[in-house]
Amino acid sequence: MSTDLPEEIAEERHLHGLQARMLSDRQLAVTDKFGLRNTAYHSAPPGDDTEALPVPTTLLIDADGKVLWMDVSEDYQRRSDPSVVLAAMQQVFDAPQP
Amino acid sequence: MKTGTKLGIASLVLALGTAVLWFYLVHQVSLPDDRTPFVVAFLAASALGFAAYIKGTSLLGGLPPVVGILIGLFLPLTIYISPQVLEEGGAIKVGDTIPHFTAVDGNGETFDSDSLHGHLALIKFFRAHW
Repeated sequence: MSTDLPEEIAEERHLHGLQARMLSDRQLAVTDKFGLRNTAYHSAPPGDDTEALPVPTTLLIDADGKVLWMDVSEDYQRRSDPSVVLAAMQQVFDAPQP
Repeated sequence: MKTGTKLGIASLVLALGTAVLWFYLVHQVSLPDDRTPFVVAFLAASALGFAAYIKGTSLLGGLPPVVGILIGLFLPLTIYISPQVLEEGGAIKVGDTIPHFTAVDGNGETFDSDSLHGHLALIKFFRAHW
């Protein structure tokens, strides 16, 4: 989920060989549903009309859509470290589901 | 070579070297929590740049310090503005059920969160590609 336009996603996906389904949330509609809009200072490059950005966040959800684990990056220069997410996935998803 | 010109080159080398390391670590998602050494190095590069002008540079020698000063001041600014703030009380938390949503993917197809039912899933909110 990002504020990238679908065509930007297609391009980036090709560039990085991403396998996951990448969704566009230009107007932050989904971001706001999750309450993850960054209300602090926002800078955008020239020509970019995004009003704000989500706070980088990773969520692990169970089969009923319940949040089992989440990581919110308080600092955009550091995002969820892949090793942290992988460890959480092992711990949360491999545990017996209630 | 004038002292100022030498200082200017030192400013540029320090600023560029620190910036290269910085962007490498950003790419690796391994910037340290404490970025004080980076701030010190960047500000030192700026200080060297200003010192170069005070000492006096040759005409061409005036170019490196301006680049050193700009890089040296800009990256600490990005550290200053990097903290993220959520609206209080509004954010989803562990134990909550995710809200229903639809969104368009890179192929122009609509994704419906209902399709996640019965599956474990990882949802990630990114800033944008830039």
